[in-house]
Amino acid sequence: MAYTLDIFRFDQATDEVPHRDRVEITDLPETATVLDALEHAKAEIDGTITFRRSCRSAICGSCSMNINGTTGLACKTPVRTVLKSDRSIAIDPMPNFQPMRDLVVHMDPFWDKYTRLKPYLQPKDKDSDHATERRVSPEDMKKLVAVANCVMCATCYALCPVVSVDPAFAGPAAIAYAYRFIEDVRDSKRKERAAQISDDYLWLCAHCYACSYCPKHVDPHDDIIAVKRATIEEGITDAAGPRHALVVAKTIKATGMLHETEVIQGTVGRFNIRGLIKVAPLGIRLALAGKIPPLFLKPVPKVDEIRLIFNTLEAPTL
Amino acid sequence: MAATLDKPTIKGKSKSAQMRKYGFFPGCVAKESCKELFNSTMLLADRLGIELVELTAASCCGASVLNDTNRDVARVLNARTYAQAEALGLDDVITICSTCTGHMRAANKELLENEGHMGQANAILGKFGAKYDGTVVVRHLLWLLIDDIGLDELKKMVVKPLNGLKVAAFYGCHIIRPESVNGWESARNPHSLEDLIEALGGEAVDYAGKTRCCGFHVQLEKDGIAPNMVGQNMRMAKDQGAEAVLTPCPLCHLALDGYQADSVARWGRTDLPIFHLPQLVALALGVDPSLLGMNKHIISPGLVLQQHDLAPAHVA
Repeated sequence: MAYTLDIFRFDQATDEVPHRDRVEITDLPETATVLDALEHAKAEIDGTITFRRSCRSAICGSCSMNINGTTGLACKTPVRTVLKSDRSIAIDPMPNFQPMRDLVVHMDPFWDKYTRLKPYLQPKDKDSDHATERRVSPEDMKKLVAVANCVMCATCYALCPVVSVDPAFAGPAAIAYAYRFIEDVRDSKRKERAAQISDDYLWLCAHCYACSYCPKHVDPHDDIIAVKRATIEEGITDAAGPRHALVVAKTIKATGMLHETEVIQGTVGRFNIRGLIKVAPLGIRLALAGKIPPLFLKPVPKVDEIRLIFNTLEAPTL
Repeated sequence: MAATLDKPTIKGKSKSAQMRKYGFFPGCVAKESCKELFNSTMLLADRLGIELVELTAASCCGASVLNDTNRDVARVLNARTYAQAEALGLDDVITICSTCTGHMRAANKELLENEGHMGQANAILGKFGAKYDGTVVVRHLLWLLIDDIGLDELKKMVVKPLNGLKVAAFYGCHIIRPESVNGWESARNPHSLEDLIEALGGEAVDYAGKTRCCGFHVQLEKDGIAPNMVGQNMRMAKDQGAEAVLTPCPLCHLALDGYQADSVARWGRTDLPIFHLPQLVALALGVDPSLLGMNKHIISPGLVLQQHDLAPAHVA
């Protein structure tokens, strides 16, 4: 099978701008992965091509890169699944990171967000002499199994559209790790952890599910939602994100519908004049186009059933 | 018979599809700030000869936000909606919002795959005499157009072809991701909207932003995030030559139509008019353009419609 690797080349020590090299691959088997092709290129054609790799079996998390426009582990991506019609494969460093050399990027922002979480168990009896082991029921452990598969390859971080416009956002992997400790029954810092991750813009997650492409099926989005619920349970609600979630719940309980105008006021704060001025331009544009969402909503028929559902489940509202 | 999760479309096999009579869940935004979406959907249904029976007592689907406060409430609310469809003898609920599609399908999947969830929902529904039997499939209008009507049939129904109008499809998120919930087409490489644009006589424009997020769900959380995400995506579409954008989701519509003006400083002027899915289809199928509410858009599509001889500029 013959094809061309179209590789991003850059060396921060010497290059002002990146360039691309095309490497022809002719003699690899059908089953080759993109990492096999890169290793072949480095060994046989151009020894200067630089990329991270170690285990070749999706355990070490080193070889995440952009392959024909989508990010993933090179060792887990068979060449035949990504070949374009012109039999080429464009290989680029992970987006949302600064390139260092070729496909190697500066991982520091990703690790910084992880270390800020204090990613180790902080049990209540930390200073005692540990007469007994800390036991966890299989049921409690089940909640942590999926996230334990995270290999910190940063694929989710590279795919996250919020990180791409605001690098202050913690990103999916760090929030999944926050979940790992927040939901660990042995840990004693649930509230502190929830407050910390809230400060790191937990609520900026846009629910886009780009992180559902996780190569290890951790699927951080469910963990992110669980951490949001934990912050509300811990009473950390004085921010736009939790207020938004709670006012949405309030309007659905009251009317059956998500009441747009009340949600905007409730999220920004009815008396937050500066905040309201900031959202005003869009409101004015909408109004000028003749798009005026109702200020008052009539409840849907049988709204009592909806309120009964909220009350039975003790679902919180603003 | 329980709905089949592996084959979410059940191509034309649902009872509703055979009767050409579907449950219709318009969602909150089509009843509030995007009424033009609701109206153009009803006009299109009329033109297609299908009946959309609005589930008027349904609640909000949870809009992806309700799960942030309680893990069960959205699922049970949606079970109530499905029970209402079943009571009307309908097994196919059609949505016109990607977020409704994704979250109602996710709730249905949880109900059908987990007896505990179904039991919990029916225990609460039973308090007001309702029951969900698990027969409902939730689909987007886009899927109905392609599976039940068919592109060939749609092509035959076109009376006002789009005359090569260059349209960029904007899928956004919840109609394709997560694939385990939607799975109707590849989330990485969808092409249904492009196929539809070509069938209507337009020219589909490909660009990397088509499956990225519009930022709607975080527009109030921090300044500048949503406009930046909108600007980034619309820049890519514009650079590939798009004259307009087509979206299956009113939340994407609000963000893309509303925030291009706020993204000029970083991404330059894009000014791409944004069409709701049923507006563009109805236009090509000969519905009077002045009824489609295109004059309610912030970025007027009037000029491009006039340039392609699709409508006089003043109707949009």
